[in-house]
Amino acid sequence: MGSSRPSARHRPRPVLEGGALRLGDQLVPLRSGAMHYWRLPREHWRDALGELKALGLPMVETYAPWSVHEIAGPEGEGPRFDFGEKDPRKDLGAFLDLAHEQELLAFVRPGPHINAEMTLFGLPERVVNDPDVQARSPRGNPVVLYFPPKMFPIPSHASEAYFEALAGWYEAVGEVLAPRLWPDGPVVLLQIDNEAGYFFRNGPYCQDYHDDAVGLWHGYLAERHGDLAGTGEAHRESYASWAEVRPPVAFDAMEGGQLRPGALARQLDWAGFQEHLLTRAIGKMAASARRAGLDGPATVHNVSLGDGGLPVSIPALGEEVDLVGLDYYHGAREHRMVKRRTLYLAGTQEVPFAPELGVGAPPWFTPLSHEDSLTTALTALAYGLRGFNLYMAVDRDRWYGGAIDVFGHPRPEAADWRRLLAALEESEFHALERQAKVALLWPREYARLARATHLLGALSPSTLEALGASPVSGCRGDALGFEEPIQLAWWDALAQVANALTAANVPYVYVDGDAPIERFAEHAVVFAPSFAFADPARWGKLEELAERGVHVVYGPRLPTLDDTLRERAFPRPGGRAPTPLDPSTTHALVHDWIDRFDLERPYPALPPVDTCLHRGGDRDAVLFVLNPGPRVEAEISLPRPTVARDALSGEPLSGEDTLRVPMAPRSVRMLLLDEVKRPRPKARRRPAKKAGDGADVETKRKKGGAS
Amino acid sequence: MIAADIRFEGFDVRSWTNLVSLFMPGLPARLARDPDPTDAPTAREGEPKAGSLLLVRDGQGLVLAAQHTQRGRIPELVGEPQGGTLPELCARYGAHRALVIREGVMEELAERLALRFAASSPESGYLGQVLMLLRAARELMDAGLVELWPNPIANVPVPSPATVRRALDLLLPNDRAAVMVLWDQGQLWTALTIRRRGGDIDLVAGPDLVTRWTGPLGGDWRRDYRVMVDAVARAVAPVHFGLFAEAGTVRSLLAAADPGAWAREVAVRNVVLQPMPRPVMAALGADAVRGVGRASARALGGLDLAGTLLPLAQTLRARVTQATTVTEILGFDPLAVLGAALRREDGEGEPSE
Repeated sequence: MGSSRPSARHRPRPVLEGGALRLGDQLVPLRSGAMHYWRLPREHWRDALGELKALGLPMVETYAPWSVHEIAGPEGEGPRFDFGEKDPRKDLGAFLDLAHEQELLAFVRPGPHINAEMTLFGLPERVVNDPDVQARSPRGNPVVLYFPPKMFPIPSHASEAYFEALAGWYEAVGEVLAPRLWPDGPVVLLQIDNEAGYFFRNGPYCQDYHDDAVGLWHGYLAERHGDLAGTGEAHRESYASWAEVRPPVAFDAMEGGQLRPGALARQLDWAGFQEHLLTRAIGKMAASARRAGLDGPATVHNVSLGDGGLPVSIPALGEEVDLVGLDYYHGAREHRMVKRRTLYLAGTQEVPFAPELGVGAPPWFTPLSHEDSLTTALTALAYGLRGFNLYMAVDRDRWYGGAIDVFGHPRPEAADWRRLLAALEESEFHALERQAKVALLWPREYARLARATHLLGALSPSTLEALGASPVSGCRGDALGFEEPIQLAWWDALAQVANALTAANVPYVYVDGDAPIERFAEHAVVFAPSFAFADPARWGKLEELAERGVHVVYGPRLPTLDDTLRERAFPRPGGRAPTPLDPSTTHALVHDWIDRFDLERPYPALPPVDTCLHRGGDRDAVLFVLNPGPRVEAEISLPRPTVARDALSGEPLSGEDTLRVPMAPRSVRMLLLDEVKRPRPKARRRPAKKAGDGADVETKRKKGGAS
Repeated sequence: MIAADIRFEGFDVRSWTNLVSLFMPGLPARLARDPDPTDAPTAREGEPKAGSLLLVRDGQGLVLAAQHTQRGRIPELVGEPQGGTLPELCARYGAHRALVIREGVMEELAERLALRFAASSPESGYLGQVLMLLRAARELMDAGLVELWPNPIANVPVPSPATVRRALDLLLPNDRAAVMVLWDQGQLWTALTIRRRGGDIDLVAGPDLVTRWTGPLGGDWRRDYRVMVDAVARAVAPVHFGLFAEAGTVRSLLAAADPGAWAREVAVRNVVLQPMPRPVMAALGADAVRGVGRASARALGGLDLAGTLLPLAQTLRARVTQATTVTEILGFDPLAVLGAALRREDGEGEPSE
């Protein structure tokens, strides 16, 4: 479909700046709250928007669902759309105008897929029922999504018919949105699609075997391996034509207990292609939106729970949209998962953003309490989240627990969100920084191997992770002819180093192997799990980092094979030998880094309590205290006498050497720091004499107790 | 059974989690558990059983993956034959239950469902779709590709959608509503209104809406329930079945194995069932009779249980002329299955072979 509107070339654009949007000379924190206009009686819109603003949110977020607005046209003609002409609840333009009138900005998410617990995930029935649109299983069947209240065949992210239908929708919704883009209207953020991840049917051999996808698979291989012959060499096959290069439909790289390297190379190609297909789809959709006149707002994409097991490359998606974020729906018990996901986001993305930070939940998920939502939000903020969308700020159909009820009245829980947002505003949290000098590299090639060896089909790695397990827990456990089961060992290696860093109170982040080298180069130490094979491109980054003076640690093995399992000489980054990993040496390794690079361990506490400091310039501004364990009084070593105030309860706290903070089980406290006027010279914290957990903190604790 | 355009609304986090915890009493403990262990140690002596074992085998019977859902991976089982019966493995690794699947069976399940899905009417509702999935899963179990120990559903037939609809007709006919309102020491604890229309449940409403429909209440639930029934009838549909009680009473009753428990609480108005459809009367009558039988068989310690329950049971039996029951239609007693599940959730009893 051709362009109908010229892009607004001269319109000023919102620009991402830290955790905020720069709108001309105004800096607006990336904080919004979700409200679904079509699900609320129109007479409640004004009250609900007013209460949303009163929470302290500068922006309202809404989906614009294709299936709600599309109505059947006359026989033989294409679809038509209702934007309030027939049903006043569907008046998206009026809703945005009302938000604008109330001085709220807008974050709009027009899909095509929106989920939102809607039947068919917000897609029109005619679209999902079109066989040309449907994703295909290995046997050519439609791929069915099992969610209530109706299972349906999901669209293919490769289907040209799907993209063509989508262009019609974007054209229609573009008519409403384009005149309301900032600065003429409130729209500053635009999400392209939603939770790209094959609609949760993302087991390695679930999909997509659509003809268009198979064509793209061949194109991907040609680009990766040069041509058909190159692909044949990588797969150890003599392909006469592309038609013979079939996508794998099961893990077939082991035969009689022996590894078939060519077959494994093909499996890894398939896992890589699944990531590529989604990236390409988001890029095509973004281009389609621009053609529909939606060229101006910062573009966003959100990645669902279970990102550790998803066939999604967040850095690659970041090439197609301005901002890629993660969605958060967690119980307070999932401290480690929230921490790991946020540290990944903080390390990999310029702006760590949550397009959906759960307030309440859909009824068909594990129930979440208010304490779960609040603890998750605080945990994510502690580890580096800078912007978020409270989802749902206003309650709605197929949801429970929104901060504001469907009549536009705040619920009692809204008070906590109001206090949190006020504290973020007061501390200018969007401009603060949590410093981390250690980066753990997220090895994409091993994550692909883990997906390729997953044994539980539709109960996919990402689904397992979303359910609270690890994304590798459904993998084959055998070593596939290597020295260890790499598909499991990479996860354990990262966990081992991360645990040692946590125990030593050293801040760190994860950086995706696909991320630009600049994301790594700002760290003093980069640790990269490495085994028998590796992606040469990733290895090249390690070499370059070592040349730039970054301390690159890798191990436990120096690879000897590339990611097509062909022999290759891998240089030793920085000339260093691989580091063996076991629990006893990992703690010593971390303490060696602390000594060598003078790694700061700000405001340390005894495990399991963790602390996270956020600074504004040289000012210690906010300290989070996190307790993933049972009730405890946290004892935090202070660099100087400190006065603090709990951001939510207002409780004042102070200490000379030690800050004692009562912590409920599985809780997080956000402390606004106010330095006492008589600073003492900061004593350099020496590493513990033995490589035990928090030994230096223990010494401090005893001192504090004596005084 | 679930309408494609079902509306669900009117719950805050407390009322929803309260409602869910009623039917899943073990949930809070499960949610408090630490996830994501690494390796599963063999169960130590005296250590309580927990979680499940999951094994994936290849076509030759070798284990490809072994996992304890709470204790992590079990590397020593990988690459070997299974090494024992499922009860033995559960004992060795301290698990309540075990699931063993053949490699590729999940993909096979997805393909079988997709085939049925493609052949089914676009109008088949979610119930029909779930039953399709269950039948496909049952086929794989029957073919020996999936083993479950213990298997609580071994003797539970997969009913047809029509069968389930007939059972539902007894409990909640079309264009009628059912209401449950529970209090905790006089405070509204949770509320649930459901409506059936066009054969399917099309509305699930929580306390936000129920209290809006009723307006201010007197504060004594044994009186207020009448106002609630009338309000729901005006706002939603005539009420076919209403249950009003303190939450603690209903929680105990749902998990009770004690015959006569329901009838006893109804008799003393700790539970108000109003209105009460015939199948519920029948179930209650049967419960009362079972309770009397059980009570008569042992010393009552001075409690005149028979005197309390018999008149109720006789009245009920007299009013129920044709006791067509849900159990007769389905071929199993859903309340018995639920009760057993809830008792297990509470940690009572161990599954047996």
